[in-house]
Amino acid sequence: MKIVKLKKENLFPFLESLSKEADLWAPVQKYENKHSFQLIKDFSQIDLKYTRTILPPKKLFLPPTFNMFLATEQGYEEDFSHVTKKILFGIHPCDIHGLLILDRFFQHVFDDPYYSKARQNTLILGHSCWPDENCMCKSTNTHIIEEGYDLFFSELETAYLVWIGSSEGDDCIRIKPGIFDEDITDEDIQIYIKWHNERDKAFQVDINFIAMPDLMELKYENPLWEKLGDACLACGSCSNVCPTCNCYNVLDKPLLNKYASEIGRCWDACTLESYSEVAGGENFREKRAQRLKLWYTHKLQAYISKYGKPACVGCGRCASTCPVDINVQTVAKALEGKDMDTFWNRLSKEVTK
Amino acid sequence: MKKDKLKIGIYELTGCAGCALLILDCENELVDIFQAADIQSFLMAKSDNIDGELDIALVEGSVSTEKDIEELMDIRKRAEIVVAIGLCSMVGGIQGRFCDEKEWKENFKKVYGDIEMTHTKPVQSKPIDAYIKVDYYLPGCPIGKEQFLNFFTRMLRGNPPERYPQPVCVECKYNENDCLLKKGILCLGPLTSGGCGAICINHNLPCVGCWGPVEGGNWISEYYLLKEKGFDDELIKNKMANFSGTKIAEVSEQLRK
Ligand code: SF4
Ligand code: SF4
Ligand code: SF4
Ligand code: SF4
Ligand code: SF4
Repeated sequence: MKIVKLKKENLFPFLESLSKEADLWAPVQKYENKHSFQLIKDFSQIDLKYTRTILPPKKLFLPPTFNMFLATEQGYEEDFSHVTKKILFGIHPCDIHGLLILDRFFQHVFDDPYYSKARQNTLILGHSCWPDENCMCKSTNTHIIEEGYDLFFSELETAYLVWIGSSEGDDCIRIKPGIFDEDITDEDIQIYIKWHNERDKAFQVDINFIAMPDLMELKYENPLWEKLGDACLACGSCSNVCPTCNCYNVLDKPLLNKYASEIGRCWDACTLESYSEVAGGENFREKRAQRLKLWYTHKLQAYISKYGKPACVGCGRCASTCPVDINVQTVAKALEGKDMDTFWNRLSKEVTK
Repeated sequence: MKKDKLKIGIYELTGCAGCALLILDCENELVDIFQAADIQSFLMAKSDNIDGELDIALVEGSVSTEKDIEELMDIRKRAEIVVAIGLCSMVGGIQGRFCDEKEWKENFKKVYGDIEMTHTKPVQSKPIDAYIKVDYYLPGCPIGKEQFLNFFTRMLRGNPPERYPQPVCVECKYNENDCLLKKGILCLGPLTSGGCGAICINHNLPCVGCWGPVEGGNWISEYYLLKEKGFDDELIKNKMANFSGTKIAEVSEQLRK
């Protein structure tokens, strides 16, 4: 792996020359302190001081809703209009890990062309970050990144150290070779190590994820789940914002003026009541508590048991989204037996009083 | 006219006529709609209406007069399939908000006094399924174009319509909005049927619930959540009741305790 240096003032000129070849997507501030990956037309919109975007980068590869194909009497006409050449700049390590997990779901056994084609057409330019109170990536061991990027920018005081992670990344550097410096000084390395150590100390959350599969098993019938179910609003937001949630629904949209149907696809969420409903109206997980168990089995148990790491990359989106305090952090702590001041605990006191 | 075209009637009971207007407002598709089906009756769109046997009747509006009851009974007798379209028809509408009979009588007196109704007698506003069997429901206030066209085309092809059991929050997140409820604003998105595209939240306004209650909404939790966020008990209950018609009678009971 090669590492080069880029002066800060050269970042935007570099991105500008790259974005002649493809659409540049980067974090912009959408609401006060809330960010979103957006198509960049004006470089001054880019805000690299963000912590997390509301929706994860999966929206670039599989949009919340899109059409997969048009079914006619003659056959299928595939629709790949969501696939365009893109550069995703500013993505943090947790989200790159999230994409690697999605790769497993959508590429390893069966290939999902709608995901793969979009993935192949997108350059991943990562960026370093600083944790806030909801970041859990140190616990999930996704705070650093070794693969899954074309370039990765670590921000120092006046320059970036740029890791080149692929031959496509190397090609990018060659577009403007003059601005990259191969000579990295001892001082640069010292600054980088110091930054790294300080960042490690800045994490405020510590969860023992490796213990979670056992705790899930032991507490599967625990009354905790009923309490969570009583509080959950079944809004589906936790799945929609989670970078590793991959469930979707397929919609048949018949056209009025010709004998054909658009076959659409949209994000689905196992916390929604309709998720486990099957033909005839049977529902396998009618109760919210059952549905939350599925969600947390996915994040805290099944994936760890199979791949040795959680299907949670610690991005903290569930924590910054759920209106009733149900998130990986609070649920993991509750499984550890810690008593917390959460809405579900307060609610159970209200309702029984 | 080809014989195999479905015979469809579009009827309006007590409502604002918005749902019927929405159908008329499908301007680009209107010709296709009238070509694909045999629209037998549609008072807002044409004058040569026939009240005969129907394959499908779309009914807008709630039942709030004795005349509505008679008309509805007659529609049910003539139609193979009856579809409740829009909030009024599904839950009784805003006019069905006072589920308590005593309260309704008092309010009626306050508004109309002792006036003598000659052409028909008023009854407490109810959804159409309080009187007849309803085969399908299409939510909205008014119903949405996309959902209506999808529904209509599926029916023409002999397929049952899609159900829409998801709350507004789903589309709200699709649009990457910042959650208002999380910020302490009274948003009824989690309790409300989706389909509007979360249009209010897209414009930074909270959902007031106009598409009606979603199946499986967790009213009790949201009620206590809003109370905890400092909202007044009466305000929360009023907001929750506004577009829920008679369908939250049960919830009201639980909250009254
Ligand atoms: S099952 Fe639930 S937790 Fe797992 S990916 Fe699907 S929505 Fe997410
Ligand atoms: S479970 Fe929560 S913290 Fe973990 S990846 Fe999903 S949204 Fe992020
Ligand atoms: S856990 Fe929270 S975000 Fe997820 S469905 Fe329930 S209320 Fe919504
Ligand atoms: S703003 Fe309202 S509709 Fe949107 S996610 Fe929050 S509660 Fe749901
Ligand atoms: S009030 Fe709610 S349901 Fe009605 S249009 Fe606005 S967001 Fe949609």
